Amino acid sequence: MSLIPFSLLAVSESTAASDVGFGAFFMLVMFILGSVWIGVLANRATQKGSFMKGFFLGNRGLGAWALALTATVQSGGTFMGFPSLVYTHGWIVALWIGSYMVVPITGFGILGKRLAQLSRRTEAITVPDLFRVRFGSPTLGLVASLFILLYLSFMMFAQFKAGAIVMKLAWPGSGVLAVSEDQEPFLLTDKSLEQLKEDGVPALVVEKLSPVVGKGFRSASELTEPVKAALTAEEFTTYKEPIIKRGTQLDRLYIIGLLIFAITVVGYTLMGGFLAAVWTDLFQSVLMFFGVLTLLFATLSQVGGLENATRKSLEHTGPGFVFGPGFDPKAAAAAPTATASAVTTHEFLPLSLAISFFVVWVWSGVGSPAGLVRVMASQNTQVIRKSIYLLSVYNLGIYLPLIVICISGRALIPNLPTSSSDEIVPRLAIMTTKGWPGGSLVAGLILAAPFGAVMSTVSSYLVVISSGLVRDIYQRFVRPKATPQELRKAAYAAMIFAGVLSVAVNISPVQFLQAFIVFSATGAAATFLIPAVMACYWRRATVAGILSSMVGGASTVLSLYLIGILGIMPTQPFGQLTKFHPYYLLNVDPFLWGLLASGTFGIVVSLLTTPPDAKLVSKMFDAEPVA
Amino acid sequence: MSSQIDPVVRTARREALIVFCIWLTALVYSVSTCYLLGYNRPVSELKLVFGFPEWVFWGIVVPWVSCSMISWIFAVVFVRDGELGEELEETEDELGLGG
Repeated sequence: MSLIPFSLLAVSESTAASDVGFGAFFMLVMFILGSVWIGVLANRATQKGSFMKGFFLGNRGLGAWALALTATVQSGGTFMGFPSLVYTHGWIVALWIGSYMVVPITGFGILGKRLAQLSRRTEAITVPDLFRVRFGSPTLGLVASLFILLYLSFMMFAQFKAGAIVMKLAWPGSGVLAVSEDQEPFLLTDKSLEQLKEDGVPALVVEKLSPVVGKGFRSASELTEPVKAALTAEEFTTYKEPIIKRGTQLDRLYIIGLLIFAITVVGYTLMGGFLAAVWTDLFQSVLMFFGVLTLLFATLSQVGGLENATRKSLEHTGPGFVFGPGFDPKAAAAAPTATASAVTTHEFLPLSLAISFFVVWVWSGVGSPAGLVRVMASQNTQVIRKSIYLLSVYNLGIYLPLIVICISGRALIPNLPTSSSDEIVPRLAIMTTKGWPGGSLVAGLILAAPFGAVMSTVSSYLVVISSGLVRDIYQRFVRPKATPQELRKAAYAAMIFAGVLSVAVNISPVQFLQAFIVFSATGAAATFLIPAVMACYWRRATVAGILSSMVGGASTVLSLYLIGILGIMPTQPFGQLTKFHPYYLLNVDPFLWGLLASGTFGIVVSLLTTPPDAKLVSKMFDAEPVA
Repeated sequence: MSSQIDPVVRTARREALIVFCIWLTALVYSVSTCYLLGYNRPVSELKLVFGFPEWVFWGIVVPWVSCSMISWIFAVVFVRDGELGEELEETEDELGLGG
């Protein structure tokens, strides 16, 4: 999941900075107030009925708009890394994201109706609940909830960090406005020098660092340069790591941002539970839709039409920008004199990955645990049908326009370095709305949008995590006879605990965490997709089959990611230009191998084990279950 | 046995199969069109349709619009409504759900 936060840095260089800074901050406050208000409304709506069903599942009352615009538009991540990819690699990203054309129909058409029915027959509130009752196995329920808790925690940690950074950068006077002066994210202070001594760095070395103290830098690598200059080569190699680490974490504004973010999100989620998460999600999806369409109009009129945009962007890049497998900025920089037919060395999207992503986006959406819960909460079948076409219109209005916007971006602002290509959307927003009445608010909305996306994503993870802790662990195994009051307290405690934990791990983030975060989204879908399909449609599926399907899918994806991240196999010359990438066995994405393993294990083990109890199956599948 | 399968299960399974086929068709059409028209070409062969490179127009834009229309028709015409079932009264059950 990539982070847009540094995009806000762009603003500081603009002449319109102060206006936009105000606009962004205003919109940020609006997002926070809006979310809290939604939390209050949701709190009222969850009052009726039982606490558990109201708080964790919104009394199964989701309407079409809420279901359509929130169940598959999962995380702000899609909007965040995506523009930068288009800007860097060109039109090929249209194929990379192309499968979103069928996401509305697959997202609700594959499992939707049946899952909604099954969740009523099993009286399930959570996904593990559903597996446990559907197969009559507490073990299965426990395994499912452990998997979900693990994946969602990692994903939530990453989102907290993103939220904190956006918050910090948008702070008036120290964020958007002054970021390029003295509030850079990477900074060594007198206090961090003290701590370096405690870390075991010799006093002599620490003293040499004093000229660097108090100067802010935009990235770790920028901080590295003066540190390198201050020290001898040997000292630099030995102590580089602790110095950079101290320079990164001792950032007061980051901590403040983290705390404000945590308190806001945990606060409104505590009030409104599941509905608060869904409604804030809906709120930000709708704002995003209008933001994108406004920006589409603004950029296209500035660049003089799409044809101009494509041709101008091509002039600034190379053939890879308008043809597959994609533009490779590094190869182009290395060989500026290369002819048009020059072969790029790093392929963004070779054929095998193009096919992979058509599978990945579609099926990881269908199998994501947070998405499954939302389908379970849908009101009736009419809602599911309506969601299909609402989302079709939404996706059509978001993804193709975003591609067009970023291609135009390459034509209008041709030379952003790869490291700051994330800035393209905010920069365009500022540039194209300059001079509009209320233009700074439009730009502010686009700048603050990632924050809204991150908040609503965190909120939905918080609900699933606390429902896992309270429903699947506390109520099942610790206190089966808990009263509603006790459950309410437990739910609040679980959410606060999750929030505190997220803040704690993000104060000093460790490297391996990042690796797991990268793996979590695909891992979760590879673990749950096949078991969910089997639970819905296959009478012969057994507990052992489902268990091995979950473990098989999870371990396959995990292994391939570990092989890639640990660098066991040689680096492959394709895919995204990121540090943490999986190993593409036979040039195919790990998710596909995960599904293959999960499916094979599920079917073979089910067939090898004793068929499930006929009465139980009948209860789940038949109109008039056998007694 | 099959006669008493719940109608929701039956129609849901059929709809899921149709959706699976739509996805597969979209994959084969979209990826092959893009690959055949748009991979490893010299700039001289660039043709634009409404400003989109030709392969993006035929391989992404056209199928995207078609899929949106197909989704609409599918949702309105094919998907059968069904009774999802009433939930049991929430009384003091063995799980202590309460109310």
